[in-house]
Amino acid sequence: MAEVVLKNIGKKFDDHQVINNLNLLIGDGEFVTLLGPSGCGKTTLLRMIAGLETVDNGDLIVGGKRYNDIPPRERRIAMVFQSYALFPHMTVRANILFGLKIQKVSPTRMQEKLEWVIAMLGLQDLEDRLPKEISGGQRQRVALARALVLDPDVLLLDEPLSNLDAALREMAMEELKRIHRQVGKTIIYVTHNQVEAMTMSERIALLSGGELEQYDEPRYVYDRPETMFSAQFIGSPAINFIDGVIAQKENQIGIDSRIGFLLLDKERFGRAGEFTGRKVKVGIRPQNISYLEHRAARRYSDTSLTITVELIESLGDRSLIVGKVSDEITVRFLITREADIALDQEVRIFIDGRRLHLFDPRTQKNIFAARRKTSGE
Amino acid sequence: MSNIVKISALSRKVFWLCAVIFTVLLIIAPVFLLFKYSISDASSINTGGSPVPLWPYNPTFRNFLYLFSDNQFYGVVINSLLIAFFTVIVSLLIGVPASYVLGRYQIPLRKPLLVGLISVRLFPDIASVIPVAEFFITIEAHNTYWGVVLAHTLLALPYVIFIGTSAFEPIPRDLEHQAMVMGANRFQIFLKILFPLAIPGLTAAAIYTFLLSWDEFIFAYFLLGLGRISTLTLYLKQKLAYAPPQNLLATISVCLSFPVIIFSLLLQKHMSAGITSGAVK
Repeated sequence: MAEVVLKNIGKKFDDHQVINNLNLLIGDGEFVTLLGPSGCGKTTLLRMIAGLETVDNGDLIVGGKRYNDIPPRERRIAMVFQSYALFPHMTVRANILFGLKIQKVSPTRMQEKLEWVIAMLGLQDLEDRLPKEISGGQRQRVALARALVLDPDVLLLDEPLSNLDAALREMAMEELKRIHRQVGKTIIYVTHNQVEAMTMSERIALLSGGELEQYDEPRYVYDRPETMFSAQFIGSPAINFIDGVIAQKENQIGIDSRIGFLLLDKERFGRAGEFTGRKVKVGIRPQNISYLEHRAARRYSDTSLTITVELIESLGDRSLIVGKVSDEITVRFLITREADIALDQEVRIFIDGRRLHLFDPRTQKNIFAARRKTSGE
Repeated sequence: MSNIVKISALSRKVFWLCAVIFTVLLIIAPVFLLFKYSISDASSINTGGSPVPLWPYNPTFRNFLYLFSDNQFYGVVINSLLIAFFTVIVSLLIGVPASYVLGRYQIPLRKPLLVGLISVRLFPDIASVIPVAEFFITIEAHNTYWGVVLAHTLLALPYVIFIGTSAFEPIPRDLEHQAMVMGANRFQIFLKILFPLAIPGLTAAAIYTFLLSWDEFIFAYFLLGLGRISTLTLYLKQKLAYAPPQNLLATISVCLSFPVIIFSLLLQKHMSAGITSGAVK
């Protein structure tokens, strides 16, 4: 069992609070990503789990054991650094066996382990090379092999793919997932890249300013952002935010906003009536706005809107359109490549009333996302 | 316009070429003269008024043969080698741990210590030799091998620590942390990661120390005088006192500078950067 429990964890650098009262429970064998912008404390948190940074407040419990005062070398934790930190004067073999040699594992056992890990990561024929003689992708795999060979309870990965090019990164993501299935270790993965987090992890812990914004499965983080930060950070292109007030009009519940009256779906927002008169920030993902031509069947809760095309940005398979609603307000949405839209053209778009995200402007919290019960509480 | 650019580019090339040739001449010329004198026959030196030739009339290795037949010469060479060797050993034994700490830890007063260390060497040897010699005499370290070794260590240590510190300093911190996470203790990290990666820099320090001791004269002279133990530099001074022919002195000098030249070339090879390439990224 190697459950990782963080209880009221705090960390200060000088006067700067890097991690603030953080609670997180990572289950045995789970793949959890610590996601957030640079400076959000995710790497610091990882280094605290590894024992490279002290824990100022709270308890760090791994596998039922309080780890706060246990030195790194006695923790059953392996880590892959962003830089890979391969020992430049040692061959691939010596790098992989370094930890086992220190633990004085018998040569036969060492050979077995070496063969196992080399086969798993496809490092055949590279054993006698030096780190500088292999490619970036190979170095990343050696770093991973070096961590896995130690059979740790928990595997920490600090942005291990950030030095790879796009094609390699995609391969490495698949490989990491496969390895996780194969070895079943608890993996804590740090990244600022939402695609990596979405693709690989079972749960995402979204951090901002040293605090936990949301801790949930990737699809829920995307579908039900608990905070405005969450809505903004996850999803690409960035979400639209519009100010408004919850109101009733002609027996319909919706939001009175500067771009018009936005209908709310009754099934999704059953309790909206109770909030009439409340100021909100409406988040609308570009993916949830559709262009007339695309859509034959419309729902009753779709709001139609006329905009003027201000900018067309090609994203390859789709295009991002920036549309002007009024002089000050623009909305961003996606169209397929086939749609024939020109600059300055007036087009009608539809906003999906089921997929609006309503936030309290003061607390920045989602008013309707019934907080899913997560074991991080 | 482009013509002007071309001309200025050309003139710059010419300037650099001249500068390089001048520098090479500056370095090569004395070595050449030394070597020329060491293989000169008497008539090429005492030319009786006519200019000294650029190459001896009858090049000869007689001086080398004479030197190599002198038993005293072998004695002083072995002395010099032994003293230099043990100076290297003692300097590294003291200097490497010091540079490890100064290079890897943010200890208080680190900067002043480093500056203090190197400014010790700003004193001219001739000024510091008197108190050192006096002290060594009171502890009866004069006229001994270990006395000279200790004196030379004194001279070499600031350099060893300075070069050593800059050898330990640039090793990425991640390597240390990685080893730590993998179960290594501080000593194992030093032995298996940091020390091997600092070897190129430490080799440079060792060679430098060897050369410093090998051609050191002042401290050797004050501590050993012209007594029982003699070094190659003292031997040269002793021969000088008997006013021997110039070609013999030149021969001794060639023998003295031979290891210097060899080691300097080796040093260059070891100074090459990029040893830690491939460690990170």
